[in-house]
Amino acid sequence: MTSGLSDTRAAPDASTIPAAQPAAIGVAVVLATALASDGRPAALLPWGNGTVVGRLAEQLADLGVRAPLIVTRPGFEAVVREAVGPAAAVRVAASVAEDLRLIARAARDAAGQVLVMSGDIVTHTDALEGVIANPHAGTRILAGGRRRPLAFRFQARRGRLVSAASAYHAVRSPNGSFLGILRAVPDDVEALATAADRLAPLVADAPEAWQDELDRKAARWRAAVTRAAADDEGGDDFAGPDEPEPADDRSDEDSAPVALSDADEASWRVRVAAAPEDAVALLLVGLVRAHVDVTPIYLRQLFWARPLSADAAVRAAERITHYDVDRLLLESAVKSADGFFTTFFVSPYSKYIARWAARRGFTPNQVTTVSMLLGVLTAAAFATGERWGLVAGAVLLQLSFTTDCVDGQLARYTRQFSKLGAWLDSVFDRTKEYLAFAGLALGAHKMGDEVWVLACAAITLQTVRHSSDFAYMAAAHQVITVTPQTPIEQPLDHAGVQAEARRTARTAGERSAPAKRPLASRILSRWSRLDHSPSLRWVKRMAAFPIGERFAVISITAAFFTPRVTFIAWLAWGGVAFAYTQTGRILRSIR
Amino acid sequence: MSAPAAAISESTAPRDPIAVYRDDGVIARALGRVGARVTLPAPVLALAGFAPLLAVVIAEGGGASDGVAAVVLAWALLTVGASAGARGRPKLVWGAVPIERLTEYVALIWIAALHGESAYPAAYALLGALAFRHYDLVYRLRHRGVVPARWVSALSLGWDGRLVLAFVLLVAGTLPAGFYVLAAVFGAAFVGEAVYGWVVVGRVEQPLGDDEEDDEL
Repeated sequence: MTSGLSDTRAAPDASTIPAAQPAAIGVAVVLATALASDGRPAALLPWGNGTVVGRLAEQLADLGVRAPLIVTRPGFEAVVREAVGPAAAVRVAASVAEDLRLIARAARDAAGQVLVMSGDIVTHTDALEGVIANPHAGTRILAGGRRRPLAFRFQARRGRLVSAASAYHAVRSPNGSFLGILRAVPDDVEALATAADRLAPLVADAPEAWQDELDRKAARWRAAVTRAAADDEGGDDFAGPDEPEPADDRSDEDSAPVALSDADEASWRVRVAAAPEDAVALLLVGLVRAHVDVTPIYLRQLFWARPLSADAAVRAAERITHYDVDRLLLESAVKSADGFFTTFFVSPYSKYIARWAARRGFTPNQVTTVSMLLGVLTAAAFATGERWGLVAGAVLLQLSFTTDCVDGQLARYTRQFSKLGAWLDSVFDRTKEYLAFAGLALGAHKMGDEVWVLACAAITLQTVRHSSDFAYMAAAHQVITVTPQTPIEQPLDHAGVQAEARRTARTAGERSAPAKRPLASRILSRWSRLDHSPSLRWVKRMAAFPIGERFAVISITAAFFTPRVTFIAWLAWGGVAFAYTQTGRILRSIR
Repeated sequence: MSAPAAAISESTAPRDPIAVYRDDGVIARALGRVGARVTLPAPVLALAGFAPLLAVVIAEGGGASDGVAAVVLAWALLTVGASAGARGRPKLVWGAVPIERLTEYVALIWIAALHGESAYPAAYALLGALAFRHYDLVYRLRHRGVVPARWVSALSLGWDGRLVLAFVLLVAGTLPAGFYVLAAVFGAAFVGEAVYGWVVVGRVEQPLGDDEEDDEL
């Protein structure tokens, strides 16, 4: 990661998870408990000739989960049984507390992984696959961006959840939303069951603080329902793909009561009534509060909805057919946090090369090797010290860079990941760049210009810049590991409690002068406000001088000028980038 | 596992990754124990060593006398080495790593400059071999959770030992050949051991956990 101020760690997507082995799901619990506007479980809403939950059961069966446990409310067991077919087992639970106890029992009895999900979810099988079908990574959830005001949200840092919301739990500064699917690995199953046991008596008789939190959410959702209706989304399904990048996160708290139309009022009531039924969200909070590592698997471009009315189900069915999943998988194979040059000049066509390579049966490691060979040829061409050599080297370097992008996209598209491949890719990237420097210095020597000291400066600057990236990331990771968690009875997360304490201190009106925030903190908050400006996003990414920009500078200056110009331009941009990223990191560290 | 076997295989216990990235040798670790008593944050201590080095490099360039160079390098070794154990605020500890790396690389280039321009290509070769080790330390820990075998780390001398050796090679008048030999020995050992680790020890290709994607660009 080279961007100093924005933590844009590329998180995995639902569609890019290796699916080498069938899912080892011990038990899958599907909750058909939340009620739709017609007073029946939303899972029973019509889908084609069947129901939403019937479709889900088929999708699960496709992914190797053949006998899910469907939980519903008394009176609906017969209809649910008919909807899901004979393979699934149907259980009845009268309340959320009973849901939780049932989940705890089922989890402890099961051998293997535990899947808990809402039964009224409409999404692609590929999205489910990302959460269900990878036996190697840890406990995970299906996640969306934060622009889903009606979903429960979470805060993730560096690919791990640090806080999560339920009907009764709040997240301060959310940056994603929970899409109702949770998969726990065997190591975390006991923690899941324990959380369910602890939560059951609490939800049976919700503490006052919990009730207050639900009221606050209900008030916030009033505004969200109108906004969703205005977006032609249907206020009740909080559906759709993720928004690319939120422009801002309006604080909806403490806003005046919103007047709703009758239809909106009705859908708002349905949403609020469904919220406390969401045992999956409660379990997620339980896990996060118990310091369990939970990884969000992002939906990104794919479609997801939880319809709570027949109309919404029809709309979801209409919208999901417009998604070209193969194209979206290919799009998702492109890294989301790449630099400007890579995103706009390489990825648009390299992904088609990746698809071609996939169809021809090339492996990512073969492509990586080709890229490395092109890198060696680049250095050899530069080393000739002739104009044609510099031009040829410039072209070869770009070819090498394109193939370098192809290998990663091919790996993500065909889901062939390997540790050796990742190591080779990383090591070869550095080797290509440093060989190019050596080639340029040799070429310059033949042209009668000694630039070896500049080459030494360049390798030093780049190695030092990377060492800062690595050490800073390691430090940030350690900080997250020790992020404190509040007990499950507390609606607020740790950051929320701290903010509350600050607010109380302020209103207590202590006579001392208002506490000044440290200078670093003030500069940083101003800086991060710039962060959210979409027009500056690419400027900031370019300022960090990522690999695409570095290779472009080398190619352009070498082809048209001399190696000395190349080194000076490269060092100038790299020096600015180093100063820029270091400043951001130091500010973050001392705040 | 018997002691000799342990010495030639990779060590599996990934300690604090920042301590691994530092690439400290025997001298720096000893200095770090002293530095643990200093209350200054690690990056400040490291900067106290690097700043005078940079100032002298800019002011004197390749014209500095061996005596001046010895003093400046010794001071850098002392302070940056002490930063290995410096406490201060734990959030700041990462900041010493880039300064430490900068100190090593700048010092090696300067030692080449003290010999004369003809030593720069040799310095580049040496830096290339060291860069391989420094990336390998990170990537192997990230992708496989292991660090290089103990014999390679002993041979590498740590950044502190390499500074001393490079200065001795300069004073002994063996530059640039000394740097080339060092680059060849280091390069062969670092690359050879890494490949051996992948081919023999890590032959079974484990699928990549998806939290291990590359972050740096």
